[in-house]
Amino acid sequence: MNNNFSDVEQRVRRYWYIDGFGELVGGGGMCLILAIYFAAGQYFGDESFFGGILQASMVLVLIGGVVLVRRLVNAAKARVTYPRTGYVEYSEPKNKVVASVLSAAVGIVMAVTFVFIVRQFNKIDGMVAISGLVMGIVLFAKQVWSVRVKRFYVLSAASIMYGGALAVSGLARGYNLGLFYALMSLSFAISGGLTLKKYLDENPLQTELGNER
Amino acid sequence: MSADLRAVTTLDRLIHEPARLLIVTILSSVASADFLFLQRETGLTKGNLSAHLSKLEEAGYIKIEKTFKGKFPLTVCKLTSVGQKAIKAYRQQLQSFMDKTN
Repeated sequence: MNNNFSDVEQRVRRYWYIDGFGELVGGGGMCLILAIYFAAGQYFGDESFFGGILQASMVLVLIGGVVLVRRLVNAAKARVTYPRTGYVEYSEPKNKVVASVLSAAVGIVMAVTFVFIVRQFNKIDGMVAISGLVMGIVLFAKQVWSVRVKRFYVLSAASIMYGGALAVSGLARGYNLGLFYALMSLSFAISGGLTLKKYLDENPLQTELGNER
Repeated sequence: MSADLRAVTTLDRLIHEPARLLIVTILSSVASADFLFLQRETGLTKGNLSAHLSKLEEAGYIKIEKTFKGKFPLTVCKLTSVGQKAIKAYRQQLQSFMDKTN
Protein backbone atom coordinates (compact mmCIF):
# COMPACT_ATOMS: atom_id res chain seq x y z
CA MET A 1 0.00 0.00 0.00
CA ASN A 2 2.80 2.40 0.91
CA ASN A 3 4.37 1.61 -2.46
CA ASN A 4 1.27 2.88 -4.24
CA PHE A 5 1.35 6.11 -2.26
CA SER A 6 5.06 6.61 -2.92
CA ASP A 7 4.57 5.81 -6.63
CA VAL A 8 2.13 8.71 -6.86
CA GLU A 9 4.53 10.97 -4.93
CA GLN A 10 7.47 9.96 -7.17
CA ARG A 11 5.39 10.64 -10.27
CA VAL A 12 4.54 14.11 -9.00
CA ARG A 13 8.22 14.83 -8.24
CA ARG A 14 9.23 13.63 -11.72
CA TYR A 15 6.86 16.20 -13.23
CA TRP A 16 9.54 18.89 -12.77
CA TYR A 17 11.67 17.07 -15.38
CA ILE A 18 8.87 16.38 -17.87
CA ASP A 19 9.68 19.29 -20.20
CA GLY A 20 13.51 19.15 -20.16
CA PHE A 21 13.84 22.82 -19.12
CA GLY A 22 15.72 21.76 -15.99
CA GLU A 23 18.50 20.33 -18.16
CA LEU A 24 18.23 22.64 -21.18
CA VAL A 25 18.24 25.92 -19.29
CA GLY A 26 19.40 24.82 -15.84
CA GLY A 27 22.17 22.29 -16.54
CA GLY A 28 23.08 23.64 -19.98
CA GLY A 29 23.10 27.28 -18.86
CA MET A 30 25.00 26.74 -15.61
CA CYS A 31 27.66 24.55 -17.26
CA LEU A 32 28.05 27.12 -20.06
CA ILE A 33 28.66 29.87 -17.50
CA LEU A 34 31.31 27.71 -15.78
CA ALA A 35 32.89 26.76 -19.14
CA ILE A 36 33.32 30.45 -20.06
CA TYR A 37 34.51 31.26 -16.54
CA PHE A 38 37.31 28.63 -16.48
CA ALA A 39 38.39 29.21 -20.10
CA ALA A 40 38.54 32.99 -19.49
CA GLY A 41 40.53 32.42 -16.29
CA GLN A 42 43.08 30.35 -18.19
CA TYR A 43 43.20 32.86 -21.08
CA PHE A 44 43.92 35.87 -18.86
CA GLY A 45 46.19 33.93 -16.48
CA ASP A 46 46.15 33.85 -12.66
CA GLU A 47 48.57 36.78 -12.29
CA SER A 48 46.70 39.21 -14.59
CA PHE A 49 44.22 41.86 -13.45
CA PHE A 50 41.24 40.13 -15.13
CA GLY A 51 42.40 36.74 -13.84
CA GLY A 52 42.37 38.16 -10.29
CA ILE A 53 38.89 39.61 -10.76
CA LEU A 54 37.64 36.27 -12.09
CA GLN A 55 39.10 34.35 -9.15
CA ALA A 56 37.65 36.81 -6.65
CA SER A 57 34.22 36.67 -8.28
CA MET A 58 33.90 32.84 -8.28
CA VAL A 59 31.23 32.80 -5.55
CA LEU A 60 29.32 35.66 -7.21
CA VAL A 61 29.42 33.86 -10.57
CA LEU A 62 28.03 30.68 -8.98
CA ILE A 63 25.30 32.41 -6.94
CA GLY A 64 24.39 34.76 -9.80
CA GLY A 65 24.32 31.83 -12.23
CA VAL A 66 22.00 29.79 -10.00
CA VAL A 67 19.63 32.76 -9.49
CA LEU A 68 19.59 33.59 -13.22
CA VAL A 69 19.09 29.98 -14.29
CA ARG A 70 16.27 29.45 -11.75
CA ARG A 71 14.47 32.56 -13.01
CA LEU A 72 14.86 31.44 -16.62
CA VAL A 73 13.57 27.92 -15.88
CA ASN A 74 10.53 29.30 -14.02
CA ALA A 75 9.80 31.78 -16.82
CA ALA A 76 10.05 29.03 -19.46
CA LYS A 77 7.80 26.72 -17.46
CA ALA A 78 5.22 29.48 -16.91
CA ARG A 79 5.09 30.13 -20.65
CA VAL A 80 5.29 26.57 -22.01
CA THR A 81 4.59 23.90 -19.40
CA TYR A 82 1.88 25.25 -17.09
CA PRO A 83 -0.60 26.07 -19.89
CA ARG A 84 -0.12 22.59 -21.37
CA THR A 85 0.04 20.17 -18.47
CA GLY A 86 -0.57 22.22 -15.35
CA TYR A 87 1.12 24.08 -12.55
CA VAL A 88 2.76 22.55 -9.50
CA GLU A 89 4.53 24.27 -6.63
CA TYR A 90 6.84 21.95 -4.74
CA SER A 91 7.23 21.95 -0.96
CA GLU A 92 10.58 22.70 0.63
CA PRO A 93 12.09 19.49 2.05
CA LYS A 94 11.62 19.27 5.83
CA ASN A 95 15.21 18.18 6.55
CA LYS A 96 16.85 20.51 4.01
CA VAL A 97 19.71 21.61 6.32
CA VAL A 98 20.59 18.04 7.39
CA ALA A 99 20.49 16.83 3.78
CA SER A 100 22.70 19.72 2.60
CA VAL A 101 25.29 19.14 5.37
CA LEU A 102 25.34 15.39 4.70
CA SER A 103 25.70 15.91 0.92
CA ALA A 104 28.56 18.37 1.45
CA ALA A 105 30.33 15.98 3.87
CA VAL A 106 30.00 13.04 1.47
CA GLY A 107 31.23 15.23 -1.41
CA ILE A 108 34.31 16.39 0.54
CA VAL A 109 35.21 12.82 1.62
CA MET A 110 34.84 11.58 -1.96
CA ALA A 111 36.89 14.46 -3.37
CA VAL A 112 39.73 13.97 -0.82
CA THR A 113 39.81 10.21 -1.48
CA PHE A 114 39.87 10.81 -5.21
CA VAL A 115 42.65 13.42 -4.98
CA PHE A 116 44.70 10.89 -3.01
CA ILE A 117 44.15 8.26 -5.72
CA VAL A 118 44.86 10.51 -8.73
CA ARG A 119 48.02 11.93 -7.12
CA GLN A 120 49.56 8.52 -7.60
CA PHE A 121 49.56 9.25 -11.33
CA ASN A 122 51.61 12.34 -12.23
CA LYS A 123 50.21 13.01 -15.70
CA ILE A 124 46.57 13.07 -14.63
CA ASP A 125 44.83 16.42 -14.08
CA GLY A 126 43.00 15.55 -10.88
CA MET A 127 40.71 18.60 -10.85
CA VAL A 128 38.85 17.80 -14.05
CA ALA A 129 38.66 14.10 -13.16
CA ILE A 130 37.18 15.02 -9.74
CA SER A 131 34.70 17.40 -11.37
CA GLY A 132 33.59 14.63 -13.73
CA LEU A 133 33.33 12.05 -10.98
CA VAL A 134 31.50 14.29 -8.50
CA MET A 135 29.00 15.51 -11.09
CA GLY A 136 28.53 11.93 -12.30
CA ILE A 137 27.85 10.68 -8.78
CA VAL A 138 25.46 13.55 -8.02
CA LEU A 139 23.49 12.86 -11.23
CA PHE A 140 23.49 9.11 -10.53
CA ALA A 141 22.35 9.63 -6.92
CA LYS A 142 19.61 12.02 -8.08
CA GLN A 143 18.37 9.38 -10.51
CA VAL A 144 18.47 6.46 -8.07
CA TRP A 145 17.18 8.08 -4.87
CA SER A 146 15.14 11.02 -6.03
CA VAL A 147 13.68 11.64 -9.46
CA ARG A 148 14.09 8.27 -11.22
CA VAL A 149 14.43 9.80 -14.66
CA LYS A 150 16.42 7.33 -16.77
CA ARG A 151 18.23 9.90 -18.94
CA PHE A 152 20.22 10.96 -15.86
CA TYR A 153 22.11 7.65 -16.13
CA VAL A 154 23.43 8.75 -19.53
CA LEU A 155 24.36 12.23 -18.25
CA SER A 156 26.08 10.66 -15.23
CA ALA A 157 28.11 8.31 -17.46
CA ALA A 158 28.95 11.19 -19.84
CA SER A 159 30.24 13.32 -16.94
CA ILE A 160 32.58 10.58 -15.65
CA MET A 161 33.74 9.79 -19.21
CA TYR A 162 34.49 13.45 -20.09
CA GLY A 163 36.32 13.96 -16.77
CA GLY A 164 38.43 10.83 -17.28
CA ALA A 165 39.26 11.59 -20.91
CA LEU A 166 40.17 15.24 -20.27
CA ALA A 167 42.28 14.29 -17.24
CA VAL A 168 44.78 12.58 -19.54
CA SER A 169 44.44 15.04 -22.44
CA GLY A 170 47.40 17.21 -21.43
CA LEU A 171 45.48 20.49 -21.84
CA ALA A 172 46.08 23.36 -19.41
CA ARG A 173 43.88 23.08 -16.29
CA GLY A 174 41.63 26.07 -17.05
CA TYR A 175 40.97 24.93 -20.63
CA ASN A 176 40.46 21.38 -19.37
CA LEU A 177 37.76 22.49 -16.94
CA GLY A 178 36.33 24.90 -19.50
CA LEU A 179 36.08 22.10 -22.06
CA PHE A 180 34.60 19.71 -19.49
CA TYR A 181 31.81 22.16 -18.61
CA ALA A 182 31.28 23.03 -22.28
CA LEU A 183 30.81 19.32 -23.08
CA MET A 184 28.46 18.88 -20.12
CA SER A 185 26.54 21.99 -21.20
CA LEU A 186 26.15 20.48 -24.67
CA SER A 187 25.07 17.12 -23.22
CA PHE A 188 22.49 18.78 -20.96
CA ALA A 189 21.26 20.90 -23.87
CA ILE A 190 20.86 17.84 -26.14
CA SER A 191 19.12 15.82 -23.41
CA GLY A 192 16.84 18.74 -22.48
CA GLY A 193 16.18 19.66 -26.10
CA LEU A 194 15.12 16.14 -27.06
CA THR A 195 12.93 15.90 -23.95
CA LEU A 196 11.33 19.28 -24.73
CA LYS A 197 10.63 18.25 -28.34
CA LYS A 198 8.99 15.01 -27.19
CA TYR A 199 6.99 16.91 -24.57
CA LEU A 200 5.75 19.52 -27.07
CA ASP A 201 4.80 16.80 -29.58
CA GLU A 202 2.85 14.88 -26.96
CA ASN A 203 1.21 17.92 -25.33
CA PRO A 204 -0.04 20.47 -27.86
CA LEU A 205 -1.44 23.69 -26.40
CA GLN A 206 -5.20 23.48 -25.89
CA THR A 207 -7.18 26.13 -27.76
CA GLU A 208 -9.34 26.70 -24.69
CA LEU A 209 -7.63 29.33 -22.53
CA GLY A 210 -6.91 28.60 -18.92
CA ASN A 211 -7.94 25.76 -16.67
CA GLU A 212 -10.70 27.24 -14.63
CA ARG A 213 -13.18 24.75 -13.39
CA MET B 1 -16.63 -9.76 12.75
CA SER B 2 -13.38 -9.27 14.68
CA ALA B 3 -12.39 -5.87 16.05
CA ASP B 4 -9.41 -5.86 13.65
CA LEU B 5 -11.68 -6.14 10.64
CA ARG B 6 -14.23 -3.74 12.09
CA ALA B 7 -11.54 -1.06 12.25
CA VAL B 8 -11.85 -0.60 8.49
CA THR B 9 -15.35 0.80 8.92
CA THR B 10 -13.91 3.76 10.81
CA LEU B 11 -11.80 4.89 7.82
CA ASP B 12 -12.42 8.47 6.69
CA ARG B 13 -14.95 7.87 3.91
CA LEU B 14 -14.39 11.27 2.36
CA ILE B 15 -10.78 10.34 1.62
CA HIS B 16 -11.42 6.63 1.08
CA GLU B 17 -13.21 7.26 -2.24
CA PRO B 18 -10.54 6.35 -4.91
CA ALA B 19 -10.64 9.60 -6.91
CA ARG B 20 -10.49 11.76 -3.80
CA LEU B 21 -7.75 9.58 -2.32
CA LEU B 22 -5.68 10.15 -5.45
CA ILE B 23 -6.32 13.92 -5.35
CA VAL B 24 -5.37 14.17 -1.67
CA THR B 25 -2.27 11.96 -2.15
CA ILE B 26 -1.07 14.19 -5.00
CA LEU B 27 -1.71 17.35 -3.00
CA SER B 28 0.04 15.89 0.05
CA SER B 29 3.30 15.61 -1.91
CA VAL B 30 3.35 19.21 -3.22
CA ALA B 31 2.81 22.69 -1.82
CA SER B 32 0.02 23.29 -4.36
CA ALA B 33 -1.17 22.11 -7.76
CA ASP B 34 -3.60 23.52 -10.29
CA PHE B 35 -6.79 22.09 -11.73
CA LEU B 36 -5.19 21.13 -15.06
CA PHE B 37 -2.40 19.18 -13.38
CA LEU B 38 -4.86 17.33 -11.13
CA GLN B 39 -7.09 16.55 -14.10
CA ARG B 40 -4.12 15.18 -16.04
CA GLU B 41 -2.80 13.08 -13.16
CA THR B 42 -6.15 11.68 -12.06
CA GLY B 43 -7.65 11.17 -15.52
CA LEU B 44 -10.99 12.56 -14.31
CA THR B 45 -13.29 14.74 -16.40
CA LYS B 46 -13.55 18.44 -15.54
CA GLY B 47 -17.00 18.04 -14.02
CA ASN B 48 -16.05 14.99 -12.00
CA LEU B 49 -12.85 16.54 -10.67
CA SER B 50 -14.69 19.75 -9.86
CA ALA B 51 -17.30 17.82 -7.84
CA HIS B 52 -14.64 15.95 -5.85
CA LEU B 53 -12.69 19.15 -5.19
CA SER B 54 -15.86 20.87 -3.95
CA LYS B 55 -16.49 18.02 -1.46
CA LEU B 56 -12.92 18.22 -0.18
CA GLU B 57 -13.16 21.99 0.08
CA GLU B 58 -16.45 21.80 1.99
CA ALA B 59 -14.83 19.42 4.49
CA GLY B 60 -11.97 21.90 4.94
CA TYR B 61 -9.40 19.43 3.58
CA ILE B 62 -8.29 21.64 0.70
CA LYS B 63 -8.21 25.34 -0.12
CA ILE B 64 -8.97 26.48 -3.67
CA GLU B 65 -7.70 29.81 -4.97
CA LYS B 66 -8.23 31.42 -8.36
CA THR B 67 -5.11 33.23 -9.45
CA PHE B 68 -3.06 34.21 -12.49
CA LYS B 69 0.37 33.09 -13.68
CA GLY B 70 1.16 35.87 -16.15
CA LYS B 71 -1.95 36.11 -18.37
CA PHE B 72 -2.94 32.54 -17.68
CA PRO B 73 -5.76 31.91 -15.17
CA LEU B 74 -5.09 29.15 -12.66
CA THR B 75 -7.28 27.33 -10.15
CA VAL B 76 -4.76 26.34 -7.51
CA CYS B 77 -5.53 23.69 -4.90
CA LYS B 78 -3.67 23.28 -1.65
CA LEU B 79 -4.06 20.80 1.20
CA THR B 80 -4.96 22.51 4.48
CA SER B 81 -3.51 21.45 7.84
CA VAL B 82 -6.81 19.62 8.50
CA GLY B 83 -6.39 17.78 5.19
CA GLN B 84 -2.78 16.93 5.98
CA LYS B 85 -3.76 15.44 9.33
CA ALA B 86 -6.63 13.53 7.71
CA ILE B 87 -4.49 11.87 5.01
CA LYS B 88 -1.79 11.03 7.57
CA ALA B 89 -4.35 9.44 9.88
CA TYR B 90 -5.96 7.60 6.97
CA ARG B 91 -2.64 6.13 5.84
CA GLN B 92 -1.76 5.03 9.36
CA GLN B 93 -5.19 3.50 9.90
CA LEU B 94 -5.11 1.64 6.59
CA GLN B 95 -1.53 0.42 7.18
CA SER B 96 -2.48 -0.80 10.64
CA PHE B 97 -5.49 -2.64 9.19
CA MET B 98 -3.33 -4.27 6.51
CA ASP B 99 -0.71 -5.31 9.09
CA LYS B 100 -3.33 -6.93 11.30
CA THR B 101 -5.09 -8.79 8.51
CA ASN B 102 -1.92 -10.05 6.72
